[in-house]
Amino acid sequence: MKHFLRTLVQFFLFFYCKCLWRCLKFVLRKVTGRCELQRICYSNKPGARRTLKIESSLRFSKNELLQKAVSAHPDAVEKTTEDIMKLKRINPDTNPQLGISLQASLLQIIGYRNLIVEVEKLRRESYDSENPEHEKMLLKLWSSLRPDTALKGRITKQWCEIGFQGDDPKTDFRGMGLLGLYNLVYFAEYDSVTSQQLLHDSLQPKYSKMDKLEWEKKKFDKAIGYSFAIVGINITELAYSLLVSGALKTHLYNVAPEAPVLAHFQQTFCYLMQEFHTFWMEEDPCDIMEFNRVRSKFHKRILKQLRNPDTALCPHFSASDHLINL
Amino acid sequence: MSCSIRWADIKTLGTRIWEHHNAVRRKDPLFLIYTHKSSTKHKWDLVQIKFKANTKSARELVLECGVCEDVFSLQGDKVPRLLLCGHTVCHDCLTRLPLHGRAIRCPFDRQATELGDSGVWGLKKNFALLELLERLQNGASNQPGASEETSAGSGECIIRCDEDENHIASMYCTICATHLCADCSQLTHSTRTLAKHRRVPLADKPHEKTLCPQHQVHAIEFVCLEEACQDGPLMCCVCKEYGKHQGHKHAVLEGEANQIRASILDMAHCIRTFTEEISEYSRKLVGIVQQIEGGEQIVEDSIGMAHTEHVPGTAESARSCVRAYFADLHETLCRQEEMALSVVDAHVREKLIWLRQQQEDMTILLSQVSTACLHCEKTLQQDDCRVVLAKQEITRLLETLQKQQQQFTELADHIQLDASIPVTFTKDNRVHIGPKMEIRVVTLGLDGAGKTTILFKLKQDEFMQPIPTIGFNVETVEYKNLKFTIWDVGGKHKLRPLWKHYYLNTQAVVFVIDSSHRDRLMEAHNELAKLLTEKELRDALLLIFANKQDVAGVLSVEEMTELLSLHKLCCGRSWHIQGCDARSGMGLHEGLDWLSRQLVAAGVLDVA
Repeated sequence: MKHFLRTLVQFFLFFYCKCLWRCLKFVLRKVTGRCELQRICYSNKPGARRTLKIESSLRFSKNELLQKAVSAHPDAVEKTTEDIMKLKRINPDTNPQLGISLQASLLQIIGYRNLIVEVEKLRRESYDSENPEHEKMLLKLWSSLRPDTALKGRITKQWCEIGFQGDDPKTDFRGMGLLGLYNLVYFAEYDSVTSQQLLHDSLQPKYSKMDKLEWEKKKFDKAIGYSFAIVGINITELAYSLLVSGALKTHLYNVAPEAPVLAHFQQTFCYLMQEFHTFWMEEDPCDIMEFNRVRSKFHKRILKQLRNPDTALCPHFSASDHLINL
Repeated sequence: MSCSIRWADIKTLGTRIWEHHNAVRRKDPLFLIYTHKSSTKHKWDLVQIKFKANTKSARELVLECGVCEDVFSLQGDKVPRLLLCGHTVCHDCLTRLPLHGRAIRCPFDRQATELGDSGVWGLKKNFALLELLERLQNGASNQPGASEETSAGSGECIIRCDEDENHIASMYCTICATHLCADCSQLTHSTRTLAKHRRVPLADKPHEKTLCPQHQVHAIEFVCLEEACQDGPLMCCVCKEYGKHQGHKHAVLEGEANQIRASILDMAHCIRTFTEEISEYSRKLVGIVQQIEGGEQIVEDSIGMAHTEHVPGTAESARSCVRAYFADLHETLCRQEEMALSVVDAHVREKLIWLRQQQEDMTILLSQVSTACLHCEKTLQQDDCRVVLAKQEITRLLETLQKQQQQFTELADHIQLDASIPVTFTKDNRVHIGPKMEIRVVTLGLDGAGKTTILFKLKQDEFMQPIPTIGFNVETVEYKNLKFTIWDVGGKHKLRPLWKHYYLNTQAVVFVIDSSHRDRLMEAHNELAKLLTEKELRDALLLIFANKQDVAGVLSVEEMTELLSLHKLCCGRSWHIQGCDARSGMGLHEGLDWLSRQLVAAGVLDVA
């Protein structure tokens, strides 16, 4: 009986996807006199709610023009919007709002796709110690994190102070390439207060909770804190996987008024770093070996947050509302 | 041309050369002359050979076998035996004659000679011939001057009296230059003049002065020392002053001769010591052979009674050692077999007990169900009022039944009824029951060596660029009938002290080294050395992955073994170094193969 019901539900869903859905759309269109895009734009707040729906609507459309709209070039967005309006026989004079909303959403969708490409390109570019730009970047990271201390050399034990694994940070950039470096530098430069604080905390053994003597005894393996730089790289990986899986759409559509750019991604990274640090402190793991457990827990929490279409991870970075409402 | 080869032949050379091949086979004297000639490069022409061959005395030559033409001997193969017809043939040839029934035919007149049970050995020897042969051989030394060679050969030891052949000389007359016996000396030197001749005992006989071949009147007195004259260094005073050795460096003959004698003496001494050494050595050899073989030895016991005692040789003791070892092994194996069997027995017992328990449960359940059924049926047959009254009871019954059914299905779902008892064996012959053998492996190494990459390559067979591991990753990898639980611990400097938390109960350590990073090899070496001193890892297997073998210009496995001095470092534990490349996965499974070979008894892997 149970099995039969399950099959029936499956069949119904399949049937719905195949034709019922389209029939429903057709009926609605006739009744309201508005096309689906119009309905979405009018009934949803600007931001992720609207853009996500538009995106799925466009993607599942049977019209080739609409399908292609999501992968159009940013410069062609204006023309694409006009084309869509024409195709749907919407009078731009009577619906001035629609064109602008549609255009903004399209820009966001396309921008997100391009951002993935851009980030992927950065990630694939491995750190090259022959390249002076890369070297300059790395040294900049040091000077922003440790403005008071001079670096003794390119390859030195000092790198461990900011949480690299060895004498030469080069090897730590293997998985995330330049993306890791860019993110770290961005974090250190634009949010220097937080980053300094984080670095400071990561180096400090957290003996607030136990008395100092006990702390000294266990010092050898406990609360080494975590290593700022490689945690940064790990969080970069987290942000990257969120971006690629599409989970970050919610956040970026809510935050970026038009096409999201690398800066948005980097801001997200800064936010994630900060959040992770707080989370780590809350979790209060007994030593660094629990990092992976904490990290996956954190990942789940972020994913849960992002499932809510109204989420914006870092409100203090969000652009002014009037841009979206235009 | 004074060669020592003895030859014998009276036949003409022409025939002989024609018979060359036979001669080779028979080791013919003429052939010996030939080989001597060719080996020593003596320059003889054919005529000379012929001459040499013919001048040999005829003494032994009459006495040769008419068939093989070899000289008869007093014993051995060449003993002459007499046939019935009177012909004499050597033993060797007789044995080769074809048998006609029990008889052989004379090769000369075809007359048959009956053989006894002992065959050819039964034929009489030709004793007349043997006697003759013996006499001829003995008489050879008595024949004075039979040939130059004989006298030269025998003259050294016994000097015959010059007056009478039958006397042995004991004196030497320095004037007449004759060897004399005491009697003949008296006899010949009886006259007054002759009596004045100085006669000395033979031992004091002065050396004869050899005369110079060029200047017949002068004796040779000097020896030339020039390098060029080493062919003919002897010279008389004339040669020295005016002849061919004029102005050459020279020495007195006697002195030179004495010098050579001294050196010969020295050499003789040397040879003697050398002989002693050889004999000593051979004696030792005999001793060692005896030691190896063992044997009887006469031992005196405390009372002084001598009795033989068997002394075991080293061979025997080695054998007994092997026997003891294998006996021990047998014993251990028996013990291990018993242990393994008891493990299996325990497992079977437990399983059976559990199954019986289940069986009982099922019986109870069955009876409960049937009771419920019966109750229902009974209720059905009752009148309406009672049915209504029984309603609650029935619903309760049905509820419990449903609950039991649910429990039953749940139980049946997660218990597979499987009669098979899969058995695997570890290397130390312990038995393991279950489809997979679980092994705990820790992957260690410097940061960036590729531990995580290897782990994920093994797990998902895909290459991913990893990010630095903070903490650890743990994955279970199934390979053949093994289940590896691999702990991949981050290699960061600060994390290394934490490695030790992962050592406990670890059967194997996988140490990953980046072969493309030569500078960090020493660091890796230090970490490895530290690792190997850990108490908990004493019995752990050590697998070293030389990772990144795909990069150009990396250290080869051999170089790395050399550089890390692994043989010394890992002495006394089972270890293996495996070149690999985590990108393509090359070498990883070979490494796991090695691990499983170490952990699982041979042959079991293929069965599973």
